[in-house]
Amino acid sequence: MKKRIFALLSAAALLVPCLASLSACGENDSILLRVYNWEEYIDEGGEGSYEYDYEVNEDGSAPSLVEDFEVWYEETYGTPVTVEYSTFGTNEDMYNQLKLGYTYDLLCPSEYMIMKLAAEDMLEPYSEDFFDESNELNYYVNNVSPFIKEKFDSNTMAVGSGEARWSEYAAGYMWGTTGLVYNPEYITEEQLDLGWALMLDESVKGKVTTKDNVRDSYFVGLAILFEEELLDLKARHEAGELSDQDYTAQVTDYMNRTDEETVAKVQQILLDMKENLFGFETDTGKHDMVTGTIWLNFAWSGDAVYAMDVAEDAEDGEGAVTLNYYMPKESANLWFDGWVIPKDEKRTEETKHAAEAFVNFLSAPENAVRNSYYIGYTSVIAGDEMFDYMADTYSAEEGDETATDYDLSYFFGEGDYVISAPAEQLKRQLYAQYPPEEEMLRCAVMDYYGENDERINELWTQIKGETLDAWAIGVICAAVVLIAVGVLYTKLGPKTDFFRHRPRKGYKKVSSVPVSYQK
Amino acid sequence: MKLRFSRKTLGIPYAVFLVCFVIIPMLVIVFYAFTDDEMHFSFVNFGKFFSDPTKLSTIVYSLVIALLTTAVTLVIAYPVAYILARSKMQKKYILLLLFVTPMWINFVLRVNALREILAWAGMLGEANYFNTILGMVYDFLPFMILPLYTTLSKIDNSLYEASADLGGNSFTTFTRVTVPLSMPGVLSGMTMVFLPSMTNYVVSDMLGNSKVTIIGKFIETYFGTDWHMGSMIALILLVIVLASTLLTGGFQSENNVRGTTV
Repeated sequence: MKKRIFALLSAAALLVPCLASLSACGENDSILLRVYNWEEYIDEGGEGSYEYDYEVNEDGSAPSLVEDFEVWYEETYGTPVTVEYSTFGTNEDMYNQLKLGYTYDLLCPSEYMIMKLAAEDMLEPYSEDFFDESNELNYYVNNVSPFIKEKFDSNTMAVGSGEARWSEYAAGYMWGTTGLVYNPEYITEEQLDLGWALMLDESVKGKVTTKDNVRDSYFVGLAILFEEELLDLKARHEAGELSDQDYTAQVTDYMNRTDEETVAKVQQILLDMKENLFGFETDTGKHDMVTGTIWLNFAWSGDAVYAMDVAEDAEDGEGAVTLNYYMPKESANLWFDGWVIPKDEKRTEETKHAAEAFVNFLSAPENAVRNSYYIGYTSVIAGDEMFDYMADTYSAEEGDETATDYDLSYFFGEGDYVISAPAEQLKRQLYAQYPPEEEMLRCAVMDYYGENDERINELWTQIKGETLDAWAIGVICAAVVLIAVGVLYTKLGPKTDFFRHRPRKGYKKVSSVPVSYQK
Repeated sequence: MKLRFSRKTLGIPYAVFLVCFVIIPMLVIVFYAFTDDEMHFSFVNFGKFFSDPTKLSTIVYSLVIALLTTAVTLVIAYPVAYILARSKMQKKYILLLLFVTPMWINFVLRVNALREILAWAGMLGEANYFNTILGMVYDFLPFMILPLYTTLSKIDNSLYEASADLGGNSFTTFTRVTVPLSMPGVLSGMTMVFLPSMTNYVVSDMLGNSKVTIIGKFIETYFGTDWHMGSMIALILLVIVLASTLLTGGFQSENNVRGTTV
């Protein structure tokens, strides 16, 4: 028997590499590029694609950017490439997948996950050629926004035991902020002046949601905890006592505190907030804002744009709702998703080249526009095509008296990058996609928590979990044990059967067949 | 050559399935539950779980929610199954189908629809625990009805006649004949409702607005960040379910053929 089990086990063990090799043996001469991206985070072609001046498939449908890349790469570099494109739902899913031993050539995690991967020495730097600005095929370095470039060049992260600039290991893809989507019908300017503390306010009780994840909620907790300090920094900055850089740096410092005392205080704030919340959500918030179930929703800027779009053109204007976006005065979270190359000893130079070319292809302005249009998030790519697209989308119509000049040169670089937008856009999609420069100063990147990661995750357990008094736990546990003992007793104890008819008193039990019947 | 399958060879596919999808994963869970980050053997997660009031409270809440769900489904399902099984209607399959068809509609869709109804009725966000239990009852009702229906319809009619012949009125017949003979179905239905009610966090997320946390949600969250604690909670849940199944005699199935589902 033992032998047989062993045989079974080894058969199962053999099966696994067999399956793996099946998928590996594609065409030999073409490069295999394994890309791992967020779900719905690239122009997938078909309906919903940007109607741009590009070739369409034979059947008239729009090709996906991945297909376009395969064609472009072969035309440009003469080598065929096959992209194996797969997607993940959360940064943690992606990380677990890597830990399970799956290998990829290109990943698109968020900034904190990039830092985590870098700290664990799982990333490979981009090659020198990638940064060569004289090569016009290096679309990324030639088109990335100066604002993003500055962030990626000036910030450093731990790589293994050393340290490196973000830009050495990561190329930006999409970026944005976090803030509040609100329904101006119910939420007044005065309420917004409360900043993040509005989420704790009685006036929105049961009408506000936050994200069902620890990082976003912890950020809100921090902003409420350090409200005074952050506003003080803001005042000093406005008075000219603090330089722009120092202001951002000090806000960022507050928003990255994870010491025991801070975490304990944030925990209390979030527990109070839970009482005030309609609930925690991952993707029902947009819908509930449109239906009016909630008035205030913590949102990522890209989702906010989507919610505002959907709300305003609900069914022929009927039931249409105007929603606004707001970055509270204390601070907002600045986030990025970026392309990184995970370490893989078996990867060839050709594959790495294709990986970098993939990033460059997506960074070509027309492709960035297509992506932006399809996904609704803001690309890190600047360039005239992108600006024209935004100007087309957001410019005020002629004769619009509310038209206000909105300066985007901090993002698009030197030049005349000013959109004349209707005033309402300064609270809406345009504001969410490209907040004004002075508001960007209070945006803080929240790093990977590092060694305090576990502490923050434990905080989340405490926030989300149920609370019972010790005596209640005791009583219920005792009841369960009592029931268990009771059931065991009826089973193992003296035989009794509740359902069977019991003989009446005086009945004699017939133990054996009467004598008279024997013969 | 004639192909011949002995009993043993026919069992191989199941054995392979069992090893790959039941035994090995179970061993992996036990391994993760009793190791720390450095993969050294340790009881640290066990200790952490039982020293944290929040985790204990959550598991107690889940137990209570699951018990309530099971009780309510049983109360609703038993009469339905009884009437269906005993009725002489020609088209009773259609009635049964009406109860079972919702199972063929995508689960998330159904929960979403219920969410809309609750929002319309103004209950969403107001009664999170009630909504969660309501959603679970709605969702798991077929799992209770089907085994009950199967066992109830298998009861031989002559048993009812015998009971009547011996002077039993309909109430006595019900308590002395129907209920005891339907116990296998009741137990089977209870097990099928109880376990998912402790772990199906989609319902508590959607209808309880994630303000209701059941133990399955913790397992999910921990598997994002800490597999060891996630495995430990999964293991503890497994022990609880195993214990409750043993206590209700779910495994003593030699004499009583348990109800089956579609």
